Amino acid sequence: MVTNLQERPAQHAATQIKAEVRNLNFYYGEFKSLKSVSMSLEERKVTALIGPSGCGKSTLLRCFNRMHDLYPGNRYEGEINLKPDDVNILSKDVDPIEVRMRIGMVFQKPNPFPKSIYENVAYGLRVRGVKSRARIDEQVEQALRDAALWEEAKNRLDDLAFNLSGGQQQRLCIARALAADPEIVLFDEPTSALDPIATASIEELISSLKKKVTILIVTHNMQQAARVSDYTAYMYLGELIEFGETDAIFVKPKRKETEDYITGRFG
Amino acid sequence: MATSEHTSKQFEADLEGIRSHVLQMGGLVEAQLGAAIDGLASGADEPISRVIDNERRVNGNEKEIDDAIVHVVARRQPAASDLRLIMGVSKIVTDLERIGDEAEKIARMARQIYGRGALSIPRSIDVRQTGEKASMMLRRVLDAMARLDTAEAERIIAEDKLIDTEFRAIVRQLITFMMEDPRTISTALDIMWAAKAIERIGDHAKNIAEQVIYIANGTDVRHGGSASETEKDAP
Amino acid sequence: MNGMNMNTATASAPSAPLRDLGAMRARIKSGILRQQIFAITGILFTSFAVLVLLAAFLDLLFDGLPRLSWDFLTNFPSRRAEQAGILSAWVGSALVMLVTMLAAVPVAIGAAIYLEEYAGKNWFTDLIEINVTNLAGVPSIVYGLLALGLFVYHFGFGESILAAGLTLALLILPIIIVSSREALRAVPIHIREAAYGMGATRWQMISDHLLPYSRGGILTGVILGMAEAIGQTAPIITIGALTFIAFLPPMPVTGEFPFLSLQWVWSEFTVLPIQMYNWVSRPDKAFQLNAAAAGVVLLAMTLMMNGLAIYLRYQVRKKIKW
Repeated sequence: MVTNLQERPAQHAATQIKAEVRNLNFYYGEFKSLKSVSMSLEERKVTALIGPSGCGKSTLLRCFNRMHDLYPGNRYEGEINLKPDDVNILSKDVDPIEVRMRIGMVFQKPNPFPKSIYENVAYGLRVRGVKSRARIDEQVEQALRDAALWEEAKNRLDDLAFNLSGGQQQRLCIARALAADPEIVLFDEPTSALDPIATASIEELISSLKKKVTILIVTHNMQQAARVSDYTAYMYLGELIEFGETDAIFVKPKRKETEDYITGRFG
Repeated sequence: MATSEHTSKQFEADLEGIRSHVLQMGGLVEAQLGAAIDGLASGADEPISRVIDNERRVNGNEKEIDDAIVHVVARRQPAASDLRLIMGVSKIVTDLERIGDEAEKIARMARQIYGRGALSIPRSIDVRQTGEKASMMLRRVLDAMARLDTAEAERIIAEDKLIDTEFRAIVRQLITFMMEDPRTISTALDIMWAAKAIERIGDHAKNIAEQVIYIANGTDVRHGGSASETEKDAP
Repeated sequence: MNGMNMNTATASAPSAPLRDLGAMRARIKSGILRQQIFAITGILFTSFAVLVLLAAFLDLLFDGLPRLSWDFLTNFPSRRAEQAGILSAWVGSALVMLVTMLAAVPVAIGAAIYLEEYAGKNWFTDLIEINVTNLAGVPSIVYGLLALGLFVYHFGFGESILAAGLTLALLILPIIIVSSREALRAVPIHIREAAYGMGATRWQMISDHLLPYSRGGILTGVILGMAEAIGQTAPIITIGALTFIAFLPPMPVTGEFPFLSLQWVWSEFTVLPIQMYNWVSRPDKAFQLNAAAAGVVLLAMTLMMNGLAIYLRYQVRKKIKW
């Protein structure tokens, strides 16, 4: 903390924006579930979305990899510009598959494929047409190392993924996302199905991953946001109420609504 | 503090940062006190101005550590030994800052005493010795904090009484001087203020020792409670 | 009177202590008693149904088993009951099944994938859905009539194995479609999203994930459909299968280039149920025994298929957990 305090100004100067959300509206059919949201993701930082159920935080997260395209009746308005090439990933001209190849996702419940550990991690490469066994081996190992799973998994790569524990499965899913070298990784309440110990290890993993990748995480556990994130956005009823450095949000929020939520006076 | 590390390396680093920052602040305060007592004994101008200049650094340290504590509480919700560390350190920092204030007070008194020129009170009134005792207490309590040495902390708590006794002796001596020669009254009062500051420093050192015991094993020994026995000298 | 009693009971309820342990225990005891009465009644009904089935099966076994022999399987039918066999019937059944499978499986799985994964929600899809569900309930004789008109006369397939196979394929198509859709639907949404999230296209998602994971369910549907088809008599009779065949269709493998021949699909044929029907309708007691023996063979084939289905389902379940 102390060191953070001293470093903070320097960090500020060094940060770069990785993605910028501008006036994003999102509709489920007729229902407008995101209302003119604007915010940005700093490169190699963890940004957390918090807010009560139904506030739109998961909806916003799932805009980032166009997950909503899978279901009929969903509509985007506005932009999410990915830097440095400044592509609006919500544009109809951009294929959602391209977006998903650039932005990986880790889901609420660990959802490994019912395949071997190795095949789970390798899947992203296979989708991208990588054929070289040596290259895949190398990437799989690196991804498993990055996800702090290599030591536990290296002797059982051909074992089925669901033989791993819940926390290990979630780390496998993180490795699966990392293997494809994404620019941003989205985490949708990644620890809500895990026990406190596994949760702590996932949180630590998230903190260490930000050296490599930009992270956006949705969590209904605001203390988790306080623990892992550099920036926090508080959402309510589809609106972005407050967005800022996590330290500021949790010590001196600017808006009364934010204060009420994080102090448990909500409702 | 728990011996094993936290899963979160950042949390570990935050706590370690606070601990070492407090020790650093303790070192600064110790130096301040040393210089103040040196100034009081010798009248040399250099240590006295140093104390007065550095006081702002002590205050800055207090603010920084408090800020860090607030952020750790907001982000980590420390529990058990972590919680005791944070609570204890928060109080220790206040005591350290007060010691800094007292040191500054001593320095200002020294400047006033020597600024009057001719000394009408003999040096034999040994404020210096008491001051060094208090300084030693401070050094030892900082060591005890670094090592979470509760036995040492308990010894320090007991020693505070010695300083109180010495303070009363100084007061008696000063009263004698003042009765004999009223011209010494203003200088005697200045010395009394300095002595009182030293006595307060002893109290703050004792408070810190009490917090060290609280951090180490969670017992509250303030106001006559004891780490080993539940106290009998309650009124 | 009763109503009044109940009223007083409910009225006094708040004053009666809910924590009365004695009443609580009495209530639990009477609950347990009722539960046991239901369990015993259930066992009685179930065992009745099973026993009737078992009796019928044993009767068939006792009649048919003594007639079963290697000769019975390798002889053509004959006017003399003790020399008659079911060679042409089981070969016919097997070949018809082959055609049925080759025709029904790709079409059904394709339809299931289309309906589950590609089709949007509109009136056209709804129409197909209603059709598929209702086709499963159409009496099999109606399929026979349809096939007679379409395959036998219109397409000119004649009374051939091909016509029969296609007819049965039509018959079991809805069964396989419905069970395949069920199997596809059983793949949880979070697995699909995981695949899409990795940047998979729709087809990659289907071929890399949906099909491998639902393989067990689809196979089970296929086998159950086949088991249904192998016992069908009415539509086969309708399209004109012969009841007495003393020859085999041309061999699918030949001595000359290209070594494979599809001549057999045009061949006339008979199948096991028809052979049985033929024998049962004769007055001679010996033929009745032949029918029973053929019934045992048919039953064994069906049971084997069902067993295979169960085994496959078990194997796949062992490898897939969500």
